[in-house]
Amino acid sequence: MAEKTVSILKALGNPNKAKIIAHLAKHKGETAEDVGKHLGYPLPTVYKYLRELEAARAVESEAKGNTRVYFAGDFKLEVSPEKLMEAFEAKTMTNLYIGRFGDKGMTRFNEVATKVKAGRMTFRQAAATLGITYYEFVSLLDEAGAFDA
Amino acid sequence: MKPAHLMPSYLVVDSSIVIFFDRKGKLEDFLRQKRKENYNVIIPKAIAKEVVDEPKWFAEKMRETDPESANKILDSAERINSAIQQGLIQVETVNYRKYSKVIDNVRKHLSKLEAKPEYALKKGDPELIALVIQLYDEAKEKVFVAALDKGLLKALKPFSDKVEYEVLKTL
Repeated sequence: MAEKTVSILKALGNPNKAKIIAHLAKHKGETAEDVGKHLGYPLPTVYKYLRELEAARAVESEAKGNTRVYFAGDFKLEVSPEKLMEAFEAKTMTNLYIGRFGDKGMTRFNEVATKVKAGRMTFRQAAATLGITYYEFVSLLDEAGAFDA
Repeated sequence: MKPAHLMPSYLVVDSSIVIFFDRKGKLEDFLRQKRKENYNVIIPKAIAKEVVDEPKWFAEKMRETDPESANKILDSAERINSAIQQGLIQVETVNYRKYSKVIDNVRKHLSKLEAKPEYALKKGDPELIALVIQLYDEAKEKVFVAALDKGLLKALKPFSDKVEYEVLKTL
């Protein structure tokens, strides 16, 4: 998906974030503290990077007891001038949303989408919470693969 | 599938369904298929606004900065509007006077969810639920519902003593 390509490329543009992905590919299921210790990054920075990487879907996480463990996302990039053109020119709703609200907005969308998937919030409430139209919200969910069978 | 000789059943669809099928380029096919299956696809006014007027407004807002995307969204709104004009989707007015209590109760239920209480005031959710009850009261026959929104379907559940309804599992 074009928007995923763009956000992952953006994440990989920062060598420290790229190192986190590489580290998690080898050390699956580490906590943020473990990652910080192994790579020598301050904990607040690790949290910030993990949040951004998760929003870009380059990293995944799951709750384990009282803590959260992280894994490298399941992605594959094929980079060529044509693919880049395709990725940057595709005006998907996600690209438009990131353009308006940035990575922080994407993190917020992912939080709200989790609540919606669990039925803890309706789509309308979610759209209002994010300050977007219902149409945009459903389109974002669709592009995020929320309706894939 | 229901026998074709029976009176059509009401199928109340949420905006999520309409937008989802339109994005896949399959809205008209979906609506015609439901008609063949003897459903009368119906939405409340608030939802018609949400799938036609709101996207149009949003597209106009972005026209200067991104005309290509604006046109795509406008085309989508036009296709949905055309389905309404062709009668493939029927728009029904909710009787606010008669169903004010239902609407209040839906809002109360929604305000208990994790969104801020003021977001329960969005009209689509209460109107859809009130319409399901209104159609059941009128026809005294099971009303079918299609939505991708789990939260909305959860909000409908407390009214199952007032209305016989069934959520379509396969679309």
